Amino acid sequence: MQPVISLNSAIECTSLSPSAAIWQDILAQAMTGELIAAMNYTSLAEICDDPGEVADALEHAEGERGHAAAFAAEGRKIGVDVPNNVGGKHWKRLREAFMCCITARDFIGCLIVQEIMLESFAVASYARVGKVAPGSLGRTFASIAAEEEDHVDHAMAILRKERALDPQRFDDKVYGLHLEVMTTLAKMLAKECKDGHCEVCHGSCVKPSLFEVSLSTAELRGVSLQQYLKTLDVLGIPGEVTLTWVAQLPV
Amino acid sequence: MGGSVASVARRGQVMEVDFALVGHQDSWRAAADVLAVLRGPERTPLPDDEIKDILPWIPPRAVCHVEAGSIAGVKARGLYIDSFIPPDRLEAAYMHENIARVRGAAAYAIKAGAKIVSLGGFSSILIEGNFDQLPERHDTAFTTGNTLTVGFIVQGIKKMCALEGRNIRRSTLLIVGATGDVGSGCARCLAPIMKRVLLSARNVERLRRLAAELQADGVQVEIATDVQRFSAEADVVICAASLASPSLLLGRIAPDAIVCDAGYPKNLSPSAEMPGARVFFGGLGQITGGLRFAPDFHGILNRHPFPDVVHGCLLEGMALALEGRFEPFSQGRGYITQERVEKIETIAARHGIYLAPLYNANGPVEEGLYCQRECSRG
Ligand SMILES: NC(=O)C1=CN([C@@H]2O[C@H](COP(=O)(O)OP(=O)(O)OC[C@H]3O[C@@H](n4cnc5c(N)ncnc54)[C@H](OP(=O)(O)O)[C@@H]3O)[C@@H](O)[C@H]2O)C=CC1
Ligand SMILES: [Fe+2]
Ligand SMILES: [Fe+2]
Repeated sequence: MQPVISLNSAIECTSLSPSAAIWQDILAQAMTGELIAAMNYTSLAEICDDPGEVADALEHAEGERGHAAAFAAEGRKIGVDVPNNVGGKHWKRLREAFMCCITARDFIGCLIVQEIMLESFAVASYARVGKVAPGSLGRTFASIAAEEEDHVDHAMAILRKERALDPQRFDDKVYGLHLEVMTTLAKMLAKECKDGHCEVCHGSCVKPSLFEVSLSTAELRGVSLQQYLKTLDVLGIPGEVTLTWVAQLPV
Repeated sequence: MGGSVASVARRGQVMEVDFALVGHQDSWRAAADVLAVLRGPERTPLPDDEIKDILPWIPPRAVCHVEAGSIAGVKARGLYIDSFIPPDRLEAAYMHENIARVRGAAAYAIKAGAKIVSLGGFSSILIEGNFDQLPERHDTAFTTGNTLTVGFIVQGIKKMCALEGRNIRRSTLLIVGATGDVGSGCARCLAPIMKRVLLSARNVERLRRLAAELQADGVQVEIATDVQRFSAEADVVICAASLASPSLLLGRIAPDAIVCDAGYPKNLSPSAEMPGARVFFGGLGQITGGLRFAPDFHGILNRHPFPDVVHGCLLEGMALALEGRFEPFSQGRGYITQERVEKIETIAARHGIYLAPLYNANGPVEEGLYCQRECSRG
């Protein structure tokens, strides 16, 4: 998996727009997430037995790379280079959680991490950004959010079938992955970065500046957790159980 | 037994849901306590600002399992479903958003297979008139629970009058929020036994209609949109207005007036000065056949100084479930009559659901009275 833009490219904000530097960081987070997703689907293809599943996974990987490229292109339009860092603290942990499932050849675990957890976050936060970002930047976020939602549906059908076989075992498995993945996402979305720089933002953390583009971490976390809970509802996991999971996340 | 409810909750298996209680928290303190239980004792409670940032995003869902016991030996199982209306967003400005939340909670109850759903606090106010907006419901009946609420308010008034040695037949009754479902139900039950009835609300047309209905039964009725015009004349006051926060000031009020605050959230402003008034919180019942929550939300979801006290609106659903009567007992505004109240009180009493001991912000009322009397005797 080749990153669309090399990891440590020098980043200079050349745009005149005062908010360009903020969009640059938002795009960098989104792009990094897309590259992680592309890497995850590529890895998934390697453990699929069914040729149809392999093709699906590779197609998804290609789609996610396309999203990353689209975000990079949006950066260029506003005069900024969009960096990415799949080795950034939080993203690295998310990738590792996914790779644990790959090592265990756990196809279902992979779908839970990527489609339920990471995509809930992507769909909800992109949709939110899509509402406030100007012009084509906003349209790109909104249309990518819609595309992500589409491929989640496909995974949901597989996961619902899996849950029907043994609901308790399935829910325990989701919970185990939740502890790792959602805890990391919750830290990413916390109002303050308590354990240092995220290693994706190009300068200091973008969070305190988000209000300048009509966004806030609280809102992005809110929509993401809401989407996550709704997705778990569709899977059939009892709401009182998932409520406890979410209530116990770090802030 | 608590164990068995808990284990059902833990296993997350499909279970029979006899009833669902739809509610919302009336203060950020209450919401914080709910989240603290969910977080568990080993985690630090969420800071207040985080609670305010997180709660509004939670989609309506079950918070816990509830088991209600009857003195007749039967048990009913249910869910408490919170619509997660933020406590400071009950105003009309948030109505559409809040209707969507209650609709979501109702849909959750239907999906869980609840046979009867009680709509607590503002849930019924929001959904009343919007029942057609609920998802298709084959075997789920909805009740506002307001009939049993009225029953407990009226019982509380009578009990308080007896404790205070008042002759209710020589008393003047003021109802704030008189044209509402609860207020008008109280008016129908109490007007025939009071000397005079004063009705207050903002919409004068609705006040006139209710007054005409009561006058047809030979009751002396007066109406006013300005409650302060009336308050000095009333010996007994029922506050049942749908206020978003405790903001009601009764103004000058007769010394020793009996005041029942039946609002959820409470109607009376904490800064209301009513020297000598005998205030109590109305519409509350106690379930004596046992009430269990899993996880354990005792004293959190029912924050009262007595055990197993629950709002009348929610108790109505539990009583109907224990009775095996899965019907929309209370629905629509303005249909609560003395006869309907007696019917639901009989059902409730059969299962050990009675008027709760009276209390107010300072604690139990009856003990206070008892103490006052004993002390003066001593
Ligand atoms: N204790 C318990 O167990 C229960 C308590 N409740 C509580 O009882 C209260 C009433 O519920 P319900 O009867 O169903 O509600 P409704 O909406 O049917 O009626 C509300 C009444 O309050 C009046 N009102 C609203 N705003 C004001 C205001 N600012 N000043 C004066 N009057 C006002 C309305 O008339 P108008 O608009 O003309 O002013 C109407 O008469 C609520 O707080 C509810 O949560 C409900 C069920 C159970
Ligand atoms: Fe993507
Ligand atoms: Fe950051």
